[in-house]
Amino acid sequence: MGGCTHIHTRLHKISCLPSVEGFQLWIILMATSKNRQNLAVHYLISQIVLHFAATLGPHFTDCISRDQETFRCWWSPGSLQNLSSPGALRVFYLKKDSPTSEWKECPEYIHENRECFFDANHTSVWIPYCVQLRGQNVTYFNEDDCFTVENIVRPDPPVSLNWTLLNISPSGLNYDVLVSWKPPPSADVGVGWMRIEYEIQYRERNATNWEALEKQPHTQQTIYGLQIGKEYEVHIRSRMQAFVKFGEFSDSIFIEVTEIPSKDYTVPLTLVLIFGVVAVLTVIMLIVISQQQRIMMILLPPVPAPKIKGIDSELLKKGKLEELNFILNGGGVDGLPAYATDFYQEEPWVEFIEVDEEDAEGGDKEDNYNSDTQRLLGLPHRNIEGFSAISHPDDDSGRASCYDTDLPEHDTQRLMASLLPGQPEDNETCLDAPASETGEKPLIQTQIGGPQTWINTDLYAQVSNVMPSGGVVLSPGQQPKIQENTSGSERETQKGGKQNEDVEGIKEQKRNEPQFQLFVVVPEGGGYTAENNTQQTSTPPSTSVPGAGYQTIQPQPMETKPAATGDANESPYILPEPSQSQLFTPVADYTVVQELDTHRSLLLNPPPSQSPSLCQPQHPLKVPMPVGYVTPDLLGNLTP
Amino acid sequence: ALCSRLSSIRAASSCTNGQTGCHFLSLANLFDRVIQHSARMHGISNDLHSEFELYFLPSKNQIGRVSRNCHTSTILTPNGKENAQRIAREELTEVILKLLVAWREPLWHFHQNMAQHREFNNFSSNKSLEMSEMVHELRRGVQKVVEKMQMLGVINSSLGNLGSPEALLASDRAEWRLMNDYDLLYCFRRDSNKIQNYLKILKCRIVPEHGC
Repeated sequence: MGGCTHIHTRLHKISCLPSVEGFQLWIILMATSKNRQNLAVHYLISQIVLHFAATLGPHFTDCISRDQETFRCWWSPGSLQNLSSPGALRVFYLKKDSPTSEWKECPEYIHENRECFFDANHTSVWIPYCVQLRGQNVTYFNEDDCFTVENIVRPDPPVSLNWTLLNISPSGLNYDVLVSWKPPPSADVGVGWMRIEYEIQYRERNATNWEALEKQPHTQQTIYGLQIGKEYEVHIRSRMQAFVKFGEFSDSIFIEVTEIPSKDYTVPLTLVLIFGVVAVLTVIMLIVISQQQRIMMILLPPVPAPKIKGIDSELLKKGKLEELNFILNGGGVDGLPAYATDFYQEEPWVEFIEVDEEDAEGGDKEDNYNSDTQRLLGLPHRNIEGFSAISHPDDDSGRASCYDTDLPEHDTQRLMASLLPGQPEDNETCLDAPASETGEKPLIQTQIGGPQTWINTDLYAQVSNVMPSGGVVLSPGQQPKIQENTSGSERETQKGGKQNEDVEGIKEQKRNEPQFQLFVVVPEGGGYTAENNTQQTSTPPSTSVPGAGYQTIQPQPMETKPAATGDANESPYILPEPSQSQLFTPVADYTVVQELDTHRSLLLNPPPSQSPSLCQPQHPLKVPMPVGYVTPDLLGNLTP
Repeated sequence: ALCSRLSSIRAASSCTNGQTGCHFLSLANLFDRVIQHSARMHGISNDLHSEFELYFLPSKNQIGRVSRNCHTSTILTPNGKENAQRIAREELTEVILKLLVAWREPLWHFHQNMAQHREFNNFSSNKSLEMSEMVHELRRGVQKVVEKMQMLGVINSSLGNLGSPEALLASDRAEWRLMNDYDLLYCFRRDSNKIQNYLKILKCRIVPEHGC
């Protein structure tokens, strides 16, 4: 018994008086570590110390209570062997519950274990106990061997350990386990006499270190993060709440979870696929619905409605003709190129449809005329085409380069050129200057050369096209007609009608003599010169209205005069002189109705004598006119 | 945290009179909270005592000497399980209350001494303060439990044990000043364990079906 005796009984204490200092310190260090707080280790350490200690008398090794109702104490005889026999040492205890308490002997000996057992009747909690060993005449006592029962309680380990698998991680590598147990049967937990908390420790099968979980008073606990395929060992120990001494570890249980065959992944995969497809379809539907308009535009583009360039389709509706004409005349912002405005500004009664470049109206007529004249004249189609092409202010081949829309004179000349039969189409006299007289001359001259061919031509010229300037283009192979007068007068008399209709009406008119004159009908006023017969080449190029020999139905031929002419220049051409050869030598099939007499019969003039203004070539053109003959189709064109 | 516990104790007693099951459940809850509180108090006292022991490192075992100096030694308390179970509920309750009352003032003074002594770190100082407050809170909690029990008819409303507890302490008023700090901590550690034990036993005697 020395200062180090209390090492054995209170290994958790650091205090120790040095006797065998080195070993004692070592023992202390070992004792303070957790893993050494159990009876076996205590005993072992005490034995080691005894082995190395020089003298060590009998002493108590430990006193432990398992249930706080009883406790036991073990002693050791020490190095002195003569005290090892049973009964050589006696245990006495002192219970300090009153100031007059006395030492009493151990109530129950268990000599095999050198143990003294104190039962419930001899155990009192919260009361200090002191124990001592007594030999024959010696008392071995250490004050450190005093204690209170609650401080020496080390509960028994729990029993009935088992575990259940909680879940497996999605990766299939880890799992959680719930370990449950029952409190030690010796500890009366049901009454509330002992409040135990447990500590679980686990480790892998072959590992050396234990993993300890947090102490808690419940009888189950979850271990997280165990790995599949590994075997784990688990044991539990218990201690009183708010005390430091643990009981023994329980028996170990082993936990192992092997690979679980993975579930069928096809079912989730199919579900995922289905949901994915449904989602994609929904998105597409939403896109289609939201972008319906645009998709319709892409798939079924709208058909553009026919439009006239520069004209709002609204204007073409009923009642808006004035506006349309305004635009057509170039009055609007996007007005069309107005070829005819200059001519007809002074004549409000003049109404005409502007023929656009892309207007097919004239084209149709052109085709008709072409075909008709072709048949009639037997002329090559080429010329007609060329001629009609010129009439159109478009870019037909053969004349486009020289075409100048602003100069109707040029048109006239060009027309002249093309009208001449036999004239090559590309005979374009590019007229740079308005002065066209000189240019005309060669044409005329050439024209002169050709009248021979015209002898057998028709009495009148067919209007093949209407120029944008308003003039009417006669088709070749026919007698040149003084159309413009006719047209002007026609317009005046018949209607304020369209130019094209006038052109048609002109057909029935008396035709000019089959002269070389190619008359381009000019809506009155200047603008272009009409080529008349050679004799009239000297006539001023402006406002030349070939009036030679054209006839109006009007009984007052003089009417045309003022109507057609505000211009002196025009008069010689426009004025229809009855004396003039109003009637050109008519073709056998045609005749021109001169007038209507009172009986409403048609008077067909005899072929008029040639007017002096007319060219000589008129004569050869004389053809006996069938009097009184009117074709039925012409009849419709006659108006009183 | 202490206030919340007591307020929760008050809240638990909101059952109507007709539901006895609810009443007992609420009583069990009250007990649980009080027991939890006492356990924590005991833990703190244990920590403080260990710390004190480390710091001062008494040369020899103080048990024999100290046990006679505890000012609460005069209070008769059951020292064993059978004794605790045989004693009447009212007596047991009274013992608990007596203990709690006896320790209020000494702990408060102890805390004052702790604050003045610079040797102790803040950890100990905080614990002593918490300890002194806990005693007070625990006493109020136990009084609530007693009131509940009396309402339920579990215990007789014998006035003796619930009369002014301070009167019981009158005779002991001066004794605790004789203790030194270490002795005080030792004694309180023991008494807090007693309180915890008695409360647990009381609960398991009155409402055993709710977790014993």
